Amino acid sequence: MKQRRVLFGCGIGLAAALVVGLLAGAASSQSLPESVSYCLTCHDDKQLSLTLKDRSVMSLYVNSREFAQSVHGSQLICTDCHARYDQNHPSGATFPSKRAYVTAAYETCKKCHFDTYTRTLESVHYELLKGGLDAAPVCTDCHGAHNIQNPHAKRAMVSRSCATCHVKVYEKYARSVHGKALVEEGNQDVPACADCHTHHQIQQPGTTRFRLGSPDICIRCHGDQPLMSKYGISTTVAQTYLADFHGVTASLTRGASPAHQQVVVTCVDCHGAHDIASPRLKGKEAMKAAAAATCAKCHKGASPDFPAAWLSHYEPSLRHAPLVFLVDLFYRIFIPFVVIGLVLHVLLHVYRMSAGR
Amino acid sequence: MRDVETSEYVVRFSFWARFQHAAIILLFGVLLLTGMPQKWPYAEASRWVIERLGGIFVARWLHRAAGIAFSGLLVAHLAIAIAGVMSRRTQPSMLLSRKDFRDAIDNLRYYVGYAETPPPFGRFDYRQKFEYWGLIFGALIMAASGFILFFPILLSRVLPAELIPAAKVMHSAEAMLAFLIILIWHMAGAHLTPESFPMDTSIFTGKIRKDKLRREHPLEYDDLFGKQ
Repeated sequence: MKQRRVLFGCGIGLAAALVVGLLAGAASSQSLPESVSYCLTCHDDKQLSLTLKDRSVMSLYVNSREFAQSVHGSQLICTDCHARYDQNHPSGATFPSKRAYVTAAYETCKKCHFDTYTRTLESVHYELLKGGLDAAPVCTDCHGAHNIQNPHAKRAMVSRSCATCHVKVYEKYARSVHGKALVEEGNQDVPACADCHTHHQIQQPGTTRFRLGSPDICIRCHGDQPLMSKYGISTTVAQTYLADFHGVTASLTRGASPAHQQVVVTCVDCHGAHDIASPRLKGKEAMKAAAAATCAKCHKGASPDFPAAWLSHYEPSLRHAPLVFLVDLFYRIFIPFVVIGLVLHVLLHVYRMSAGR
Repeated sequence: MRDVETSEYVVRFSFWARFQHAAIILLFGVLLLTGMPQKWPYAEASRWVIERLGGIFVARWLHRAAGIAFSGLLVAHLAIAIAGVMSRRTQPSMLLSRKDFRDAIDNLRYYVGYAETPPPFGRFDYRQKFEYWGLIFGALIMAASGFILFFPILLSRVLPAELIPAAKVMHSAEAMLAFLIILIWHMAGAHLTPESFPMDTSIFTGKIRKDKLRREHPLEYDDLFGKQ
């Protein structure tokens, strides 16, 4: 009997939500469906709370305004997520702790977001949760519960949610050329945490696989001509890296031992990861010194001049690395010259041999 | 007389010369196999080869080992050649002379029909000398640029570090040139030419048929057997 009533309530609620969504577009607290309003008669109370088994107090207050403005405000009603609750729902504190409630309740998201949910199962966060770390994040920790916003529109907010646990990394990021642009200017072109680490299938960044894949992440934006031209950044950074010794090593690691793969130099080794600074702002001399220090990490005894072995992402030209440019130019002319000469000589020989008989 | 000549042989190459040729086949092969995938790292074939060799790090060490052996062979060759000529034990038959340039022109004249016969060649004709000197200078360039790439830190202490990327371009382009010369010139001269097809075996057996020597190196034949 109870169940049928809940279903009925749901039906009404959904219909109401649909109508509200169609008519109003953006919902306000006034236009919440009746069933939601019904729940809010109790849950709009800031004092409403529950004492759990571990004696901690969990607030049961729902900010109606926040919910109405959330992405689900015009789509869902309370019982869509809180399925076990109807108007006569128990108030017993059945959960051992607040965290236990959260980690149980988030499972409700998969009813609609099943593909996303399964991806989280392959993430490092789920690994940790499974391993018994209660603090490992679940859906609601990053997205919120009643106040969920469209994460594509609020990228800075998503990154801030990472900062809840990864404080130090976030502080570094917020000072970087990418973080500053996002946090201070609201720039939507720069990467937020999830753009490099992915959203749900987040992998352990210390692994060899992540390391070797990292240039692909950078190239996604830094190889994008229209995007980079907005900021006057050359897209040859990718090609010049890939054409160089280290880039070749990175792309030929298949079959190599894991220990060998771990020493491959990628973008982050010179530029940093979370603390990337603009080389233009750093200045030429500072970049040179930084490069020398970076080279010396692996190349023991590298002189301060050693970084000149690397063309700093420039294509060889008469201005940058003229020697390299001229050697290349010489062979571009010399090889065809020699080859054409030899082929002609061979053809003449064959011609005489066949005609002279 | 003719019948005797087709079955009689003359010693043409010493054991040392034959050994060097065999060593170059082996070392050049290893260097190409381990070097070419590094020149085109994004080709699937390159990845396949490198993977079979045990990864890029193994391939690079194979390349360096073969490079060291090749350089050693180059040094030994030059030392023995110079010592032999200085002590007058061997003839400097590979040295270029004005005759070689004249021969090249005369031979081209013969090819296009301005001359009835090709010019008479000595122990080595200008085509063989071109390949020899190409190999010597090519090997010197490959060894020099190779060692720069092998010891970049050392180099940057004494010379401008820009030499390192320049050496990389040089090493890669010179290798390409060497490969193409072998492919076109050596194949045409030692395998595909009607005189030797399918293969001139004298560098392996060390001997040459008398009539072949007389036809291809008449001046040397005259030196050995006297003018007839």
